[in-house]
Amino acid sequence: MDRRSAMKQLAILTGGIITIPACDFSEEAILQAYQNLNITASQKALLTRITNTIFPGTTLKKAEDLQLQDFVLVMCNDCLQENQQQSFVNGLKQWDEFSQQNFGKAFSKMDQATAADAIRQTMAMEAEPGSKTTEMGRFLAITKQFALQGYLNSEYFMTEIKPYELVPARFFGSKKIENA
Amino acid sequence: MANLNIKSKKENTFDAIVIGSGMSGGWAAKELCEKGLKTLVLERGREVKHVQDYPTTNMMPWEFEHRGNIPEAVKKENPVVSRCYAFREDAQHFFVKDTEHPYVQEKPFDWIRGYQTGGKSLLWARQVQRWSDFDFEGPARDGFAVDWPIRYKDIAPWYSHVEKFIGVSGNRDGKPNLPDGEFLPPFELTAGELYFKDFLRKNYPEREIIVARCAHITGNRKFYAKQGRALCQNRTLCQRGCPFGGYFSSNSSTLPWAANTGNLSMQHHAVVHSIIYDAEKGKATGVRVIDAQTKETTEYYANVIFVNASALNTNLILLNSTSNRFPNGLGNDSGVLGKYVAFHNYRAGISGEYDGLKEYTTEGRRPTSGYFPRFRNVYKQETDFLRGYAAGFSANRSMINDYSGIGDELEKAMSRETYGPWRVGSHMMGETIPKEESQVSLDPDQKDAWGIPQLKISMDYDANDEAMIKDYLEQMSEMFEAAGFTNIRTRDDKRAPGLDIHEMGGARMGKDPKTSVLNEWNQIHSCPNVYVTDGACMTSTSTQNPSLTYMAFAARAVDHAVKNLG
Repeated sequence: MDRRSAMKQLAILTGGIITIPACDFSEEAILQAYQNLNITASQKALLTRITNTIFPGTTLKKAEDLQLQDFVLVMCNDCLQENQQQSFVNGLKQWDEFSQQNFGKAFSKMDQATAADAIRQTMAMEAEPGSKTTEMGRFLAITKQFALQGYLNSEYFMTEIKPYELVPARFFGSKKIENA
Repeated sequence: MANLNIKSKKENTFDAIVIGSGMSGGWAAKELCEKGLKTLVLERGREVKHVQDYPTTNMMPWEFEHRGNIPEAVKKENPVVSRCYAFREDAQHFFVKDTEHPYVQEKPFDWIRGYQTGGKSLLWARQVQRWSDFDFEGPARDGFAVDWPIRYKDIAPWYSHVEKFIGVSGNRDGKPNLPDGEFLPPFELTAGELYFKDFLRKNYPEREIIVARCAHITGNRKFYAKQGRALCQNRTLCQRGCPFGGYFSSNSSTLPWAANTGNLSMQHHAVVHSIIYDAEKGKATGVRVIDAQTKETTEYYANVIFVNASALNTNLILLNSTSNRFPNGLGNDSGVLGKYVAFHNYRAGISGEYDGLKEYTTEGRRPTSGYFPRFRNVYKQETDFLRGYAAGFSANRSMINDYSGIGDELEKAMSRETYGPWRVGSHMMGETIPKEESQVSLDPDQKDAWGIPQLKISMDYDANDEAMIKDYLEQMSEMFEAAGFTNIRTRDDKRAPGLDIHEMGGARMGKDPKTSVLNEWNQIHSCPNVYVTDGACMTSTSTQNPSLTYMAFAARAVDHAVKNLG
C-alpha cells in the first residue's frame, strides 16, 4: 500500500479528521472521479476560476452555477484522445505559473477583468508549434469548447434562454419572419 | 427417453419459423400469423419491448452525461460502429459493438448491426421510395448481374399492402421512375428547397426535387390507433425508439400485431447455427439454434422457413447450412451463394449557402428531407458509367452565433442570435454493380463465441463508382452554381462500403437456378420451403433505400407460401 492510500485509509478510520499535507511534491489527493487526468482539488478550483472567467454571470448565469467545471472535466476525462488530454492536463498544471511569467501575476490572484484579458491574450498569441504558449492556447481552447458545449446544452440555457422542445409536433417549411 | 424426445420435438414444432425479427422478419411474422400459421420468430439478440425498453426516449439533451458524445475508450474499442452517424450516446445500446461480434474484413467493410427485437428497424432512416421498372429492368438492359425474375407490376400491390400498414408520408409526384404509393399527407419542403425545385423546373426540366417519402404517420390516425401508434410528433429522436410509434418499426407495429393473433412465439438469444435439410423429404425441416447465453443447442421444426437475418447474416446461415446434398451451403448448387453482393455508394456530398429568401425560415422539426430521384441514365445510357444516383437535398435557414469572445461579451452573444443564409446540402446514393468478386464467405479458421465461422467480407468500390462520384459532384456543383448558391464545398469522405447500411445480395433472385439462388417468389430454387426475403435476395441495388422492397417481398412471399401449403 502506498503512502497516499494508507493516509486515506487512516482518514476513513478516524472519521476523516486528518489533514493530508499538501506540499510541492503534490501529496494532495488525486480526484478519483477523473481517473485519466490525475488532478487535484486545487487544480479543479483553478479550472473553476477559468470557467467562471469565461462565463462570469453578468448577463447569463455564472459557469459555476451550472457546474461547468465538472462537465469540462468529465469530457476531458472521457471524450478526448490521449494527446489532447495531455495538453489539457499540462495546461491546467502550468497555467498559474504561465500567467505569472507572462502577465506578472498568478491567474488565481487576478481580478475578473485582468483574468479575462490573460485568457484572451493567451488564446490570441501566435507561437511556434510545440511551444509552451501554444500548449496553453490549446488548453484554454479545450476548456472553452467544453464549457461552451456544456453551457449551450445545460438545462438552464435550454429552458430559460433558448427553450428546447422535446415534442414540437409541427413543421413549417416556409415560416414568415416578422420584422425580417 | 424416447417419449421425452417425441414430446420435445412436438413442443418445438411450428407451422413456420422466421429467422430474424427486423424489418423483413417482422413482416413475414405478421403475415404468417395473420394467415393462421403458428409461427416461431428467432431473434439472436435481447428483447426490446416497444416503449418500455427505450431507456433514453424521453431524455433531455442535458441529461446525457456526454451530451450525446461517445467516450473515446468506446470509440477506440469499436472503430467500425463508431463511424456510424447514429451511434451516439442516446442510441448506442441498440448497436452491435465491434468487440462483441467480430468478423473478417478482407477489404474494409463497416458492418453495422442491431441485435435485438426489431433489429435495425429501430434505427433506420425510415426512407421508403418505391422501385420502378427502370430499376428492375436495369440488369437486363445494361448487361450486368442477371435479369430480375419479376417486374414492377408483380410487386406493386405488395408495396401498397405494406405502405398502408406501416404508414407512409409522401406526395403524389407522378414520376415514372419513382412510382407513387399509398400516401399519408406529405411533410413540407422548405422555402429554400422550393426555390431550388422551381429553379430546376425552369432550367433542368427533366430533374426534380420532391419531399422524400418516409415511414411516418401523418394522417388516418384511427387506423393506426389499432396498432397502438399515434401521429408523428416531429421529435426527430427516432433512433431512441418512439414512444408514440410515430415511425414504423417491428417493435411498434408488426410484432405486436402478430402477437395479437395468438399465433406468435418469440425466442430471444436464439443464434441460428444452420437450417436442417432432410434429403429423403427433399426439403428443409427445421433450424438448429444455439442459445446465446447458455450455448445449448436446440432444434426447431416447421414446414416453411423464412430467412430474414439481415443481408449478410442470411448469407452466413445459408453458407453454414451444409449437408450431403448441399456441401457448399443450402441451395448453393450454382455456386453463386455469397457472391454478387453490393451496397450503395454514399461517399460524396456537397454543401453551400443561399443568400435569398431572407424573410423565411422553418419552424419545428422534420423527420425527412428533400429527395432528388435518379436523373442519370434513366431512359437511355447517356454517361460513361452505368446506372446512376439518387440524392438527398435539403435547405435550412441558419442562425448565426458568435461564440468567439469570452466574459460578458460571450454571454451577451449567446443571448441573441441573428438569421444567417440558407444552408443547402446534398449527399449521393449511388447504385453499385453486383460483381462475382464481391462476396462474403465463411472464414476457414476464425469462429465466433458460439463456434460458428466468422463471416469474411470482400467488396469494394470500382471504376464505375468512381466515375459516378465524379459525375455527381460535377452535376451538383453546376446546378448549385447556376442556382446562385455560394460557398460551395464538395466532399468525398472515402468511407468504406457498409456505412450506407444498404448491403444487399449474395442469395440473389433470378430465373435460372444455374446463376441464382432464389426464384421469383424468393424460394430457394432447390429447397423451395425456404424463403429469403431480406437484403440477401437482391439481384441489383437500384438507388432507392431498400427496406420497403424487402417488406413487400416478405409479404408477397408469405402469400405464396401459404397458398402453396395445400
